[in-house]
Amino acid sequence: MASEPFGFDLLTSYLILGAALLALGMLGFLTRRNLIVMFLSAEMMLQGVSLTLVGFGRYHGTWTGQVLTIMILTVAACEAAIALVLVLVLYNRRHSLDVSLWQDIRDPGQPPVVDRPEEAEPLEPSRGPETYPQLTTAGIEPAHPSLSTTERRD
Amino acid sequence: MSDQAWLVTLAVVLGGAGTSLLLPHRQGTTKARTAHFVGGILSILFAVVTLWLLRPTPGVLSGLFFYLFAASSVLGAVLMVTSVNPVHSALWFAAVVLATTGLFVLAGAQFLAASTVIIYAGAIIVTFLFVIMLAQSRGTALYDRTARFPSRATVSCFALLWALLYSLVMVGGREGEAGTRPTGEPGLVRMGRMVDAAGQQHPEQVAAVLSQAVPQRSRLSENEEGVLPGVGPRHVAGLGGTLFTDHLISVQVAGVLLFIALVGAAAIATPKLPVRPRPGLRD
Repeated sequence: MASEPFGFDLLTSYLILGAALLALGMLGFLTRRNLIVMFLSAEMMLQGVSLTLVGFGRYHGTWTGQVLTIMILTVAACEAAIALVLVLVLYNRRHSLDVSLWQDIRDPGQPPVVDRPEEAEPLEPSRGPETYPQLTTAGIEPAHPSLSTTERRD
Repeated sequence: MSDQAWLVTLAVVLGGAGTSLLLPHRQGTTKARTAHFVGGILSILFAVVTLWLLRPTPGVLSGLFFYLFAASSVLGAVLMVTSVNPVHSALWFAAVVLATTGLFVLAGAQFLAASTVIIYAGAIIVTFLFVIMLAQSRGTALYDRTARFPSRATVSCFALLWALLYSLVMVGGREGEAGTRPTGEPGLVRMGRMVDAAGQQHPEQVAAVLSQAVPQRSRLSENEEGVLPGVGPRHVAGLGGTLFTDHLISVQVAGVLLFIALVGAAAIATPKLPVRPRPGLRD
């Protein structure tokens, strides 16, 4: 906690966690093709950087790490607002969140990235109406034990 | 290589294998469920080995909470990156943010933890969920179930992670390791005391300049061993004191940036039809 000295080993631990979040965020950004998940991965890279900054700030005994993290927070909020608006505009054009639909804004002369359905993860078929729970139709009285309605006690 | 370096290599190999199995793509003729199970086991082992590398404070409760937050942030990150349904990705990102916030509290940054929860988990993730609801993909679309070049991306990102972790564990700190401890007395790591000690060795003008470099208001209110004495109202007052004096320009620029983002988002989100001149109208 804050009531314990912040040594070099604890700083290294924070830096290790920041590096892990950064690398995993980069993996998500490069791999996924959904615009929203790509942007979430970029935000996770910023979280890793925030951990590093807070660790260094506490280690050196200054507020600077926390101040820079507040700036990161502000910039991330602005970036989220504008990026999501742009995602909405792009979605209105093509009705898809796929980033491969916008490949023609890359450098000219690049080989096109083609979608191959046989490489996709197999879709689990959703169970149909025959697996839904069966409820009694409204208005039909369910079967009772042989007691008449005047003798039942429930 | 030393023990720590072998642990780092093991962690990176486990993480790379587990994440690439969990990423959404067809794994040859293996069933998706088997691949996910094996990938999940490997990812949990990756988290365990990464936690083995960490050295939190010796206190029992704070060490327990540190391991808890660290494990949930790493596992939440892996699950966020590999979820097929984008709503699940957003929720795992919320879990990562909450774990990071816990780590902020353990480092003594309580205000930052509270503001991160409010802004990230409260505003940004909710906005993401609204946009996902508008787009309604539900994780069944082809672009959600396909990962782009998963093997190349996994190799390059985990090579980066290996380089970072290797350089972190090899730079000093542990007994018997190759590397150097940070030189100087432990107390001089604190920026304020380093500046004070340097200022005492030099003539008065240099000492005056050095004392302006790291003034008292930009130092954490620690005592001699580097311990923050309490978590009372001094925290936010100290943060505000340095934020609005040392970093005043940054705060103003951040405010202008927020305003520009607001105006820009409102302008982009409400498209107007272009005004075209009526045919036959000539000036």
